[in-house]
Amino acid sequence: MKILRILHKEHSSLRTRLLIHCAGILLMACIFWIFISMYEISRVESRQSEKEIQKYLDLNYIDFGNPLDRTLFRESLEIFYKGQTQRNDSLLTAIDNLRQRQFSDPSYKTVENPNGLTWQVLQKLGGMYLQFIAVYAVVLLVIYFAAQRIAVYRFIKMKQHRESYISQAFDIVTGADKKSAGKAAALIIKAFLKGMLYMLLFSPAYVIAYSVKTTIDTSSVIFMILLGIISNGVLIHTANKFFTFLTGESRKGYIQTAVVKNLNASYEWNAPEGIPIKTMLHIKHGLRSHVFQAIFENARFQFIPALKEHASFLVTGLIIIEMALNIQGHFCYVLLQQILYRQYDIAAVIIFGIFLAVKLTEIVIDIWEYMEKKKYGY
Amino acid sequence: MEERKYNIRILSENRELVAIDEFRVVKSAINVLLGESGIGKSLISLAIAGLIDPDELDVHIDGRPYRSYLNSKEAIEIRRNGFFVFQEPSSHLNPLKTLRMQLREGSLEEAPGEESILRKLWQNPKLAEYENILDVYPKPYRPSGGEKQRILAAMAFKKMASTAGSSKGSVYFFDEPTGNLDNKLRNEFLDLLVENFGESRPTILLITHDYSMISRFIGKYPAIGKNIYYRELMLEHGRLRLRDFQPREYLLWLEKRVAAKPPAEKKEMILRLQPEIKVFGRTLHISRDPAGNTPAPLVIRKGTVTYLKAPSGTGKTTIVKIMMGLIKSEKMSMELGDTVYSEETSRNAWAGRVWGKQMTMVFQHADESLNLNSKVKDVFSGLPVVGSMSKEEIADAISELFEEAPTREFLNKKVRFLSGGQKQRLNLLRSLILHTDIIILDEPLNGLDFLSVAKVITMIETKLQSGIGIMVISHNEEVFDTMVGPENIYYLNSSSLD
Amino acid sequence: MDINTSIRKFGFQDLFNRKDLLWLIIWIAGLGLLWIWNALFLNAPAFARLQTAFLNSLLTGMMVVVFSLVLGWITGVSLHLLERSELKTGFAILSFVTDMLRSIPQIIAVLIGYVILTMLLYKGIIQSSFIQLIWIAGTISIAVFLEVADTIKQRIDYYRTLDFVDAMLCCGIKIRRIINIEILWKNSKSHLLHKLIAIFGVSIFLQCSIDFIISVGLSTDVSLINFPMTLGNLLANVDSKQDILALSNLFTDLGYLPEIFKRHLQGLSVASCIVFSLLCIYMIANGFVRRKKLI
Repeated sequence: MKILRILHKEHSSLRTRLLIHCAGILLMACIFWIFISMYEISRVESRQSEKEIQKYLDLNYIDFGNPLDRTLFRESLEIFYKGQTQRNDSLLTAIDNLRQRQFSDPSYKTVENPNGLTWQVLQKLGGMYLQFIAVYAVVLLVIYFAAQRIAVYRFIKMKQHRESYISQAFDIVTGADKKSAGKAAALIIKAFLKGMLYMLLFSPAYVIAYSVKTTIDTSSVIFMILLGIISNGVLIHTANKFFTFLTGESRKGYIQTAVVKNLNASYEWNAPEGIPIKTMLHIKHGLRSHVFQAIFENARFQFIPALKEHASFLVTGLIIIEMALNIQGHFCYVLLQQILYRQYDIAAVIIFGIFLAVKLTEIVIDIWEYMEKKKYGY
Repeated sequence: MEERKYNIRILSENRELVAIDEFRVVKSAINVLLGESGIGKSLISLAIAGLIDPDELDVHIDGRPYRSYLNSKEAIEIRRNGFFVFQEPSSHLNPLKTLRMQLREGSLEEAPGEESILRKLWQNPKLAEYENILDVYPKPYRPSGGEKQRILAAMAFKKMASTAGSSKGSVYFFDEPTGNLDNKLRNEFLDLLVENFGESRPTILLITHDYSMISRFIGKYPAIGKNIYYRELMLEHGRLRLRDFQPREYLLWLEKRVAAKPPAEKKEMILRLQPEIKVFGRTLHISRDPAGNTPAPLVIRKGTVTYLKAPSGTGKTTIVKIMMGLIKSEKMSMELGDTVYSEETSRNAWAGRVWGKQMTMVFQHADESLNLNSKVKDVFSGLPVVGSMSKEEIADAISELFEEAPTREFLNKKVRFLSGGQKQRLNLLRSLILHTDIIILDEPLNGLDFLSVAKVITMIETKLQSGIGIMVISHNEEVFDTMVGPENIYYLNSSSLD
Repeated sequence: MDINTSIRKFGFQDLFNRKDLLWLIIWIAGLGLLWIWNALFLNAPAFARLQTAFLNSLLTGMMVVVFSLVLGWITGVSLHLLERSELKTGFAILSFVTDMLRSIPQIIAVLIGYVILTMLLYKGIIQSSFIQLIWIAGTISIAVFLEVADTIKQRIDYYRTLDFVDAMLCCGIKIRRIINIEILWKNSKSHLLHKLIAIFGVSIFLQCSIDFIISVGLSTDVSLINFPMTLGNLLANVDSKQDILALSNLFTDLGYLPEIFKRHLQGLSVASCIVFSLLCIYMIANGFVRRKKLI
């Protein structure tokens, strides 16, 4: 009902945006439909002509690989179609081409869906698509929450002016308290682990997957979700975006006004005017009398529309994972297979499905953004 | 008289932004801090208030690092009991909280007197008039700049009321608190300031470019005169210095101008704007009286200044933007030379015939109008006349306004490194160099110190002699009334279309 | 002790304040170290392949940056001018097209480009490796240039909210000059450079990923050997894959670590080169933002 109300006249800005999205989906559907139809026509035509040629190839007494048989066949053609040299030459060339294709072209080999886009194929794809969407939704949701927490933690650490682990270790080593060598070593290990974690977060999915392939079942859905979250730099980039918003907001004038109104402004964990660490779990409502509350809310407000570009990048990441991991029966792996077998009609349907997933995300985010804006009188 | 002297140094990436050996603040007094914009008044005040992020700027107060100052008893006291009304009201209000929520946040939650403060700042309206505004989430366009500014001032007065008993050591900073207010509202603000000061005697630092406040203080509150200190921050041989400003200096200058005001003279008309303009669902009326009872077309004549007055938020800038073809109106009619411009005239017509040729406009914020990353000499690149002007001619024009021949160093300086007054003069010069028939000046005295005000006024008068027509919109009525006769003053009123 | 004191202690204060430069040095130094190690321990043919792959990837990344800048500049400025002009249909069409492009995941756009490239190679229309690299760069640029276009439009829109543009227009300065010189050239170089650094990183990521995907089997007519050697291409090589798979041994036997650095050097080097470069480029971009105060 709420969505219907949104589509009402008074919400014209959102209505326009939704109409643009729908027009985009419609246009893309038309393009793909035309492409599939044309592809089907050309496939029927080419099958027809191949059928004609196949008749000759089916003659079991002629081996077209044998020069003598070929010469005999050529001469026979001259007898039956006297004077039509060009036609006869073309036929021989067509026979050669088909033979070559049957030998080298993967689409002439074991094809999973030899009849192209059928109802059964669509059903099968539908199941895979639902799984793809489910994985995508889970990963997007986890990233949305995790990225915010990572960014908030980084922001608070920045405000606490803590020295880096290496610098702290250096202090210990060069300081008077030489007995704390263990502490220094622990700090160096921490720094190393932090570096490794960064490397992990920036690793493309296939690098991580291949390096653990022999110990973990990399074809499971759980592994895919995990990989979708931590790999390809998606999480770190999304967190960085939120951190950018936090930093930008923290410099705005209204924060200074909040400070002069004596709202808490310390960033020390659990200090009386600081930030209770447990609020990391419910930041939105946990810091009512702290200036950070305003920073967070304003950053979150900007983060919602920015999610669109991250969602698109996340889909890219998931496609890479499915394709590169070679997981049979997954939506994007099938896409790759269909491109290989030149089943472009099926490939087009899969690409349209992916496009639709992104568009639907954009629609949901636009509605969400609109509702948030309404809440604040925009 | 107890005075606190600060030694302040502020650096950004090893570049000195502000350095002053002796910045004096008289305790339990109103310190009026004058001086051109961009010279460092706000930065110094923010530093004293403890509001600069030590990670952003390298600040030293009395030779101590800023963190040490922030932890001092003095700075803690200022933060706890004081308040800072910031210059730019739009960005200093949280867009995700209503104004009412923001008025009752933090230490203002329990503060008394909100209603009476708001009533005074809104000139005792019916409750509903400001009540409607209080439930608004502030946006760049709503409520108006003046309303936002009054909300911020109300916060300060609420805090003042709540700390009345413990005001010793509290400092209240008002940074250009009337920049968006017309004279009437400005006077209301000053009355409230004086009233609150009289009750609790906190230390007040009032930063302003508006020299006409002097007349108000001296005219209306002679009794507290001994508690008001006028100081002007100025650059002297590249060093910042705080000098005592004598109000007489300004008042005498005004007196002289009034005495020398030229007699009325009807000159040739260049432009006529019909009195009714419709835009953004409102109708704007031009008239010869403040109440709007005598509608009249606005006329600009050769060698004359035309002055358009209106309360803040009425749409003065909107009108001149319509005249310049920058905003499309729903209804307007303007004769310029032989051509009539209306709401149907395409923007290209203005671009082809008007901009930089017949008419030009100088916007109020030089910081926004100029390219701060350009060198001074490049400010004139791209102007229609520059192709026909030699470098020497440009240098001459600069020296005319800056009263000295520009050095190579000055010409190669980035605009961002000029002082506020220099920027404003450069902003004016870019339009003056064009030789158009008309120049529209929107708040031309904005951000100028007294010396620069005098220079700009002289420059406008010189330009008038060449036959150019000038139209002015300015809050600074006291100054422009010495220049414009009543026959060239127009008033703007607004009414909703429905 | 605050951070500045500890920085002084290291004697790198300026460098620590310029995190972008610091990470650029770390990147070059890291790659240099990797190069020396490979020169010592990796067999000569593999070492040569690795160098070619790195240079080709770098070259493609740079071409993506240039193409994206040109495409993004044209698109961003056109969108702005059309939005302001009376040609509302033109604006609607262009923004609709860019909106559609935005909804196609980058990897799909690049994949389609590769399918076409495969066809062109199969038909012998494209043969030169350099042209193939240009094609690859062009394809990736189409997938990423909108980020530049968005930055350009945002910058122009920001200046439109100020008096900046109107004040110059009133003085008779042409809009072309205001946008291209006054706004974009004089006031947006840092923003654009930051975006281009990020695009360089994305292009390396997309290149490597698409090459890896092709290795899974996009075509048997055109094998990886027919494509120019790039980092992703080299990573997809059977030997490299085996090297990466060998990393799993570390979970059960940490003593296998020295073997990884000697016996499985090719795969490990390519993977490190990719991951380390992506990390450093991200850090350079972030450092640049902080130094130039872009937020």
